[in-house]
Amino acid sequence: MSVLRERSRNVEASIFTASMADIVFLLIVFFVLTYNVQVDRTQVQLPKTWVRTDIPKDAAFISVSKEGVIRVSSGKEMSLPVGSDEEVLTFASNVVAETPDKAFVIKADKGTKYDHVDKVLDALKQAKARVIYLLSEQKTVEDTN
Amino acid sequence: MKLQKKKIESEIFTGSMADISFLLIIYFMVTSVFSATRGLDFQLPKASTSTPEIKQEDSIDVHVLQDGSLKVDGKPMPLDQILPYVADKLKQNPDKPVILRTDPEATYGDMIQVFDTLRQAPDRIGMEIKTISIPTQREIQNVWALFGVQ
Repeated sequence: MSVLRERSRNVEASIFTASMADIVFLLIVFFVLTYNVQVDRTQVQLPKTWVRTDIPKDAAFISVSKEGVIRVSSGKEMSLPVGSDEEVLTFASNVVAETPDKAFVIKADKGTKYDHVDKVLDALKQAKARVIYLLSEQKTVEDTN
Repeated sequence: MKLQKKKIESEIFTGSMADISFLLIIYFMVTSVFSATRGLDFQLPKASTSTPEIKQEDSIDVHVLQDGSLKVDGKPMPLDQILPYVADKLKQNPDKPVILRTDPEATYGDMIQVFDTLRQAPDRIGMEIKTISIPTQREIQNVWALFGVQ
């Protein structure tokens, strides 16, 4: 009886960690490949659509919040708020002058007044932007029910 | 008498590798974005000296009203009836453009819903709408001014 007690005391608990490095490196490789910097962190409720196409990685962003606050980013730096429609036009003109084929992404809240988006679209048209993407989320069957 | 050489074992210290790796993972997780990298696209006409003029009777006029309801060529129409109507028109003239106008007081979501429906034409009616034009308020006012309407 005493022998049994002695044996049970000597059992050492250990966690097998030899494969941890492999898993961690796989995760790092995954993140490096899928890495995409978020240039605009405006919280918006995006509209949902069935039709969606991929947006180029270096596209310029214009976000419109529900209250109509507009922020712009050329895709390289974090977005900055703009005070007027003229500033959107100036921003878009500068971007197009630098890269004529630059894609623009409008990230607007689905509840915002169309008037705000209309002004952004107008500025982009005046700046001779060629491709515009309207950021959306994937619509599913549940959304239609 | 031979001198016994001391064996020096070379090794790379890997004790901090796990810490560095986890820090990298946390950095990538916090700064990366997975969702919202897709959307509805539309091409704008390239800048040219001669802008093609589209007469209203040559096109399909889709108007999104303030409350989100629709008028197509001046007649009230539910959203699910648009594509069958457009299909009839495209059978007569496959190049017929669609003009999507939206009331400034309507929501952006209402406009996107209609635009998305029109973009589904190839899948749902087997015909492509070659041109979907989204004129801005300034452009609409310019056209009205051209016709002398204030």
